[in-house]
Amino acid sequence: MRRLLIGILLVPGLTAQAADDESLIERGRYLARTADCAACHTAEGGAPFAGGVPIASPFGTIYGTNITPDPNYGIGEYSADDFYHALTEGETPSGRQLYPAMPYTSYHLMRREDADAIYAFLMSREPIARAAPETDLSFPYNQRWGVAFWNLIYADALEPDASSSQSSAWQRGQYLVEAMGHCGECHTPRSWTGAMDLDRHLEGGSLAGYRAPSLEAEALAERGWNRDDLAHFLKHGMSPQGSVFNEMFPVMHHSTQYLTDEDLSAMATYLLGDTPPEARRIEPRPLETLSDSARRGRQSYLDTCAGCHGGDGQGKPQVAVAMNGNTTLRLEDPTNLLRVMLDGIEARDFPGFARMQEMPGFAAHLSDTELADLGNYLRETWGGQPGDIAPEDVADLREDSAHAAP
Amino acid sequence: MAELSTRPLRLTINGQAVGPVEIPDDLMMIDFLHEYQGLTGSRLGCGQGICRACVVILDHDDGTSEEMRICITGAHFFHGKRIRTIEGHAEHGDDGDVVALNPIQRKFVDHFAFQCSYCAPGFVNAATVLVERLEREPVARADLEATIDQALGHHICRCTGYVRYYQAAKAAIEELGLVKEG
Repeated sequence: MRRLLIGILLVPGLTAQAADDESLIERGRYLARTADCAACHTAEGGAPFAGGVPIASPFGTIYGTNITPDPNYGIGEYSADDFYHALTEGETPSGRQLYPAMPYTSYHLMRREDADAIYAFLMSREPIARAAPETDLSFPYNQRWGVAFWNLIYADALEPDASSSQSSAWQRGQYLVEAMGHCGECHTPRSWTGAMDLDRHLEGGSLAGYRAPSLEAEALAERGWNRDDLAHFLKHGMSPQGSVFNEMFPVMHHSTQYLTDEDLSAMATYLLGDTPPEARRIEPRPLETLSDSARRGRQSYLDTCAGCHGGDGQGKPQVAVAMNGNTTLRLEDPTNLLRVMLDGIEARDFPGFARMQEMPGFAAHLSDTELADLGNYLRETWGGQPGDIAPEDVADLREDSAHAAP
Repeated sequence: MAELSTRPLRLTINGQAVGPVEIPDDLMMIDFLHEYQGLTGSRLGCGQGICRACVVILDHDDGTSEEMRICITGAHFFHGKRIRTIEGHAEHGDDGDVVALNPIQRKFVDHFAFQCSYCAPGFVNAATVLVERLEREPVARADLEATIDQALGHHICRCTGYVRYYQAAKAAIEELGLVKEG
């Protein structure tokens, strides 16, 4: 009887503790999404957070590690302090340096309480006793000391902006973009050492043969982005400006689609500024005003593109994006446009039962000259860009495509 | 919409020289076959390149052949090129009537590899492209099933007649001696 009474008296306290834990874990689950941990630590078809995702780098393939609570293969032996240290300094409890594919240069800005929540969430996951594949980098990037040296120079360079003249949404957005979402890891150019060139923050980088476009406010507005469309794009993976493809697809798939509308709006506010520049609209140019190359390209457009993208570039919902207003056509650098025309885009499922079908690549069907003409037609008609693609530019990319890993 | 401009199209269909025919710049190939040539065997299904009921065969100068989805490919893409449609497979008598099916068609009939038949032209053309590829390079027995699946697997059959399509293609490939044993 006495034991029962004590039991009853203890229950409310335990329940409150359990609820606190549960709420911490839930907060951690959300924050892990904002930080896109799954993109590198959950392999396609693999157990959540058990690692094994191959990450191509110019120096070799790096594999995402197992971050489940398994004591041998995962982070089961990590304390919350160890976890925070690894996340923000790129160093394991045993003193081993992590490769900078782990974006600790961005996570360096993460708040301690957020790291702790992610830690609580990961520790509540099923431990998976599975070793992730060994990373095999070529000299000198297989030398951990080299990475430690790199840290010495760069790791502390990106500091949080302490000025508070910006709105609270802007500041929340800054935290989500810079620390959690680590957008700069792809959208900032990298120096020859592989470190982010922080003088050119968010000016656009390169990734596996594609360009990660500039996220600077003026550049975004120039390509037709406004705050609502940008937030919608991150939530749904598509907007009037186009759909996510290539390496941006997993970012939306694992991370941004799960963010609250408020947080996505904050990210868009940070990127475009509290007083955003006006999104530039482009009126399609009439055929008779186009260059000779572009006018030749029109027939290839009608022959190979218009069936899905529409004769007037209007697109088809759930099939193919519109060319009229498309943001990729508006990049000064035509690399992404040409890569997509050569290689195509695989079919993808989008949030809410939406879907975009496969876009075939035309490397085998169109010559360098035909692809250059077609690219120039697209750029001049809908991109506000000059028709300056030469057949040699296509030939160079074709060469790269042939060597690129699938 | 841009002004309705036209240009001449010339190509070879089922071994016959066609054109020049003055047709709109933006005419889809399936509409050209249906409306200008009276060749209605190629079927318009999804109209967006997914179902492959519209597939015809494009013949290359190096002797290889490939499938083309003509609901999303403009007629002028085929200018100067050679294609085969479902109407081109059987042997026709002088009066135009079919006198003999080709071996692939025969196997499709033997295996009742069609139900409503809507997707059948695309399947027969895909199987033909596959057979022609295997004539150049026969397939190992162990890889036969995967090879057929790879070649026909993207074609959609609303009646779900896939097993019989598979069996017909397999029978044709075996009968033509295109499987490497052992």
